[in-house]
Amino acid sequence: MSYGILSFGAYVPALRLDRKAIFGAVGWAAPNLRALASGERTVANWDEDSITMAVEAGLDCLNDVSSTVDHVSMISTTFPFADRSNSGLIADALNLGTDVGTEDLAGSRRAATSGLSRALKTGASSSLLIASDCREAKPASAQEMSYGHGSGALLLGEGEPIAEFLGSASEHEDLVDQYRSTGADYDYSLEERWVREEGWLKIAPTAMANAATAANVKLSDIDHFVVHGAIGAMKGLAKTIKVDLSRFEDNLASACGDTGAAHPFLMLASSLEKASPGETIMLVGFGQGVDAVVIKTTSALVGMRAKKGLKKFMERRRSTENYTFYLSLRERLGLDFGLRAERDNRTALSAYYRKRRDINSMIGGRCSKCNALQYPLSIVCVSCGASGTQSEETLSTKLGRVKSFTEDWLAYTPSPPCIYGNVEFDGGANVMLEFTDFESGSVSVGDEVRLVYRVKDRDDKRDFHRYFWKPAPLISA
Amino acid sequence: MAKGIKDKVAIIGMGCTRFGERWDCGPEELMVEAFSEALSDSGVDREQIEMAWLGLFMQEQSAGKSGLPLSMSLRLPNIPVTRVENMCATGTEALRGAVYAVAAGACDVAMAVGVEKLKDTGYPGLPERSKGTFDDLWLPNATAPGAFAQLASAYQAKHKCDASDLKRAMAHVSVKSHANGVLNPKAHLRREITEEQAMNAPMIAAPLGLYDCCGVSDGAACAIVTSVEKAKEMGITDMVTVKAMQLAPSNGFEMSTTGWDGSYLETTRIAAGRAYQEAGIKNPDKELNMTEVHDCFSVTELVVMEDLGLCDEGQGINAVLDGKFDKDGQVPCQIDGGLKCFGHPIGASGLRMAYEIYLQLQGRAGERQLNSPTMGLTHNLGGHPFRNVASVSVFGLHAA
Repeated sequence: MSYGILSFGAYVPALRLDRKAIFGAVGWAAPNLRALASGERTVANWDEDSITMAVEAGLDCLNDVSSTVDHVSMISTTFPFADRSNSGLIADALNLGTDVGTEDLAGSRRAATSGLSRALKTGASSSLLIASDCREAKPASAQEMSYGHGSGALLLGEGEPIAEFLGSASEHEDLVDQYRSTGADYDYSLEERWVREEGWLKIAPTAMANAATAANVKLSDIDHFVVHGAIGAMKGLAKTIKVDLSRFEDNLASACGDTGAAHPFLMLASSLEKASPGETIMLVGFGQGVDAVVIKTTSALVGMRAKKGLKKFMERRRSTENYTFYLSLRERLGLDFGLRAERDNRTALSAYYRKRRDINSMIGGRCSKCNALQYPLSIVCVSCGASGTQSEETLSTKLGRVKSFTEDWLAYTPSPPCIYGNVEFDGGANVMLEFTDFESGSVSVGDEVRLVYRVKDRDDKRDFHRYFWKPAPLISA
Repeated sequence: MAKGIKDKVAIIGMGCTRFGERWDCGPEELMVEAFSEALSDSGVDREQIEMAWLGLFMQEQSAGKSGLPLSMSLRLPNIPVTRVENMCATGTEALRGAVYAVAAGACDVAMAVGVEKLKDTGYPGLPERSKGTFDDLWLPNATAPGAFAQLASAYQAKHKCDASDLKRAMAHVSVKSHANGVLNPKAHLRREITEEQAMNAPMIAAPLGLYDCCGVSDGAACAIVTSVEKAKEMGITDMVTVKAMQLAPSNGFEMSTTGWDGSYLETTRIAAGRAYQEAGIKNPDKELNMTEVHDCFSVTELVVMEDLGLCDEGQGINAVLDGKFDKDGQVPCQIDGGLKCFGHPIGASGLRMAYEIYLQLQGRAGERQLNSPTMGLTHNLGGHPFRNVASVSVFGLHAA
């Protein structure tokens, strides 16, 4: 038993936008984007945001893990709520109980590495750190090409670590390579060469050297460098610290894009999926300074990682070349969806509070008298009529089976058709649910589905949105 | 031991407006139109009506959710007026209230009026509604066609039938109703359609296309009832009496458990079983001469034929395609054109169905008159297949 990294997880949305399609649509205005127009980027579906992606990475991380979680941190620069505990919602969705500590960390793209460094140095409690970012980019900007959406998670605690902590170091410098002021929609970026020369190649080497010293290893002996910079910065950095570029983890630029504050954890997940036991990894976070964290993998890694990580989510793809579809999903383009889109989605928050367990953790009721599982949990059992006999049981982690469904072209959804249907769960429960991530023609009665936590409705009048669980296609591990 | 409602109450007058996009009418005009016809049909004076029930589902029309819209529009002499709503069974619920009042001996003459003014909502289909503060948090924002389309997917999966066979049978349901509606001057849609048109129409909620869906319209209908004894005193011949009125709301079995496979309508089966018992019907497809069922969507009618015991389970497609429910079939269905051609002003529909049965039993149905029917059934299904209110009523000649 020792303190360290016990598990990891990652997530990227299924939807991928072909960068050539972006250039095809906006190249007339921004011919310079041609140089970036290769590969594809991940795009969050209309019902995904940094919270929902964080839940996915959290579930991936906690899959097959028996340790308890004392503390949940959500790390992001794109929190859906500025004043409402984002990590609290995540803790509920992960059904972690009300006694876990929750905190939201923000302010920089290196917030995840800062949080990790501090947690590992403190080594106090079992902590789930989830970094998730869903940055929007101005149409025809370089960021629209280079950004992606995704999340990564690490579980720290006492147990049998998959990686041990060796040491870390930080430098902070107010080098404003890019910024987003409070309330702004988009990042404002400065010249890339300046950022590389003055930032990556001057600040990072110092922090990395100090971290190596703290870890009592030579920089040149480190097996893998996880550095979330552009390829130019990585090349320069490799040269500066005199290690071969092959030891740098792929920055996922071609298939995913830069996922902001989530990217260090996302890349680390990718690295941990391949690393051998006993290897050292230096994780670097950059943004108004640098964090460098050195860890060493253990033999427990191989057994733990079988069902986890980024690869399965990267392989599951729904590609599109439809630029206006992407713009509309991400609310960059206001299409006329007709009268039904005008529905008032006010949430009665007092009713929500009473039913928060049903909604956030998808808690159903298991009758102690007849054993029937039902959703929602009710006072009187639907099967045997007994009163007050139901105990809580979550459906969110169960597989469902489609009993009936339709593709509805009349109901409003930002991604028509609105697919919904009745889904059965082992144990006897049936729930009518809105589906997500399915394309028209891809659902059949009898299909198995998994549940994902997503935005259910947006209330544009009150700038609020509510979340619930939806059936989605299975992920093959 | 209660004996049920059979042959205790007579319908002595009915009225029904033309259904349709009645842009020049509000609820007041519609209620007055239906009431005027019913009153002159009944042979009673308006002062003899002692109690009234108003079926009005969707809007707070004129004076809000109360009996006031009816009392105010008809300038009733301050008699008791109760507003009822029970989804698409609302009109039938109004009639049930009036019928039970007479049967209880609380009054001699009672009235039921159902009305809905849908075309002021601005929606081409049924308007968006909140499902309540909790259900809005988790149930999909389903539309009626989307909810009923699932009957088709589950029916097809259960009976392993070919999707194109089911679609063709659904098309036949609509073609038949349109052919009936052509003959009805009060119907909204009075145009024949072909099977090909129905099968190739734009998709609304797969597999339901445009012609698989009923219309949306404005309308009102009215019934005046009294006791059989009083009707006899009035010298009414061809007396139409209530044989059964049954209601079965869901309790969560369908939507919360795996016990229901989604391919049939649980509550319709329960309500039909009780209604047949109350009316003393043993072989529905031999004893009933016609049905007016809740054909909100073509697939609903097909499945309802099985649930009412008018054909065997799993045989709906064959029975429909064989013409069993056509105008000249064994048990004609929607002889007036149904919801398909009338549209579905929710509060009025149940009474509109009773109006057709009433006319047919009295031989007053004009061009669409069937050959001497003696017993007919109406059926409403309010809500969605997985959570609904079903009503089944039987009306017949007093002698039958």
